[in-house]
Parts: sequence; structure tokens; C-alpha cells
Amino acid sequence: MDFPYATMPVKPDSAFPHRTVIKRPLLRVTLRYNDRSFSTRAIVDSGADFCLFPASVATQLGVAIPNPKATPFSGTADAPQIAYFETVQATIGNGQPDGTPLTFDLYAGFCETLEHVGLGLLGQESFFSRFIVSFHHSQNLIRIE
Amino acid sequence: MTATDFTTILKDAPVGEWIALSSDERRIVATAKTLESAINSAHELGEKDPVMMKVPPEGALVL
Repeated sequence: MDFPYATMPVKPDSAFPHRTVIKRPLLRVTLRYNDRSFSTRAIVDSGADFCLFPASVATQLGVAIPNPKATPFSGTADAPQIAYFETVQATIGNGQPDGTPLTFDLYAGFCETLEHVGLGLLGQESFFSRFIVSFHHSQNLIRIE
Repeated sequence: MTATDFTTILKDAPVGEWIALSSDERRIVATAKTLESAINSAHELGEKDPVMMKVPPEGALVL
């Protein structure tokens, strides 16, 4: 199934003085846990070890955190952070014209440190481990098989 | 394939707040400081399946 990249506005800075738009592999994903669900956007991130979402996503789904399934992780910051994991149901491809939506179990982490970003990350464990993912940047295309 | 263009609808969206987009992702239905409030507002305005996201602050995404 093919998905489009998404373009988002950014402000130019000294490193990228002419950049006003950034292109990201941003996938629409519907998350479900028991009888609660909603849709959000997540970045397909081959550099992420696992899938992560902001903590408020867990709250909205009714996933109790903190829970015992905790793991520390690090991003670009020095201080380790904690993500709390639970298996939720994920669906991608809602609204896509070229195929049936894909629904699968997603072992996702939830953390406070993604709260300011407000987007999820679809990483290696549970996402790239399940699908063949290819990026076709010049064609604005993410292919998930 | 044409990229999904969020540049117009997100250009003036409040940075750091939760945004509820319409199901077709072509307009902002509601914004709020919390995810729960934004979803509730969208539902009250008749949007059954809003797509929830934030406009990240500058420098928030270095991945």
C-alpha cells in the first residue's frame, strides 16, 4: 500500500534560510484499545528502536501508565527517558484509495517527552519488524508491504 | 504521488496545542491545550473521526 509524504510549514533559520516547508513520512494511524479509539499522525522512523506516542495518547485510549512494562531510552538528550508499553490495535490506510486498511497489533510505548511534539513514531520493533517499508522521497511516496 | 499538504491549514495553527483535523484532513475543527479537550470539542462539532496532532514547536523534531 502506498502512502503520501506530508508537507508541513517550518520557519526558515540560519541553517536553512530558504526553507519554509518540510516533507515528512507522516502516516495516519488509528489506535484502538478496548472500546476506545482515535486517529492521529505518526512519523515512520527507521531510526527509532520502537514505536512511541505521547503520554496523553495512552490516557485518551484508557491505557494506564505508568505501568510495569517500562523501558528507558535516549534520544538526542543526555538524560534517559522512560516509556511505558502496551499492546494496542493500529490501523493504517483509512481513507486511502488503493487498498484495504491494514490492522495489526502494535506494541507501543508512551512517554511524556513526546508530549510537546504531539506526533507518534513508528519504529523498528512492531512496525518495521512487521512490514517491508520503502521510502521514495522524490516521488513523495512511502510503500508499506 | 502528491504529498499531503498541511502547509496551508497548519500555517496559522497554534503551536504546541492539540489540533483536531476533519476526517479528510482539510480543515481544523478544534484546538485545545489537552488532547481530551480537543477530541471532545471536535465530537461536539459533529466530527466523528478527527485526526489529532500538534504543530510541533521549532526544533522539536530532530530524529
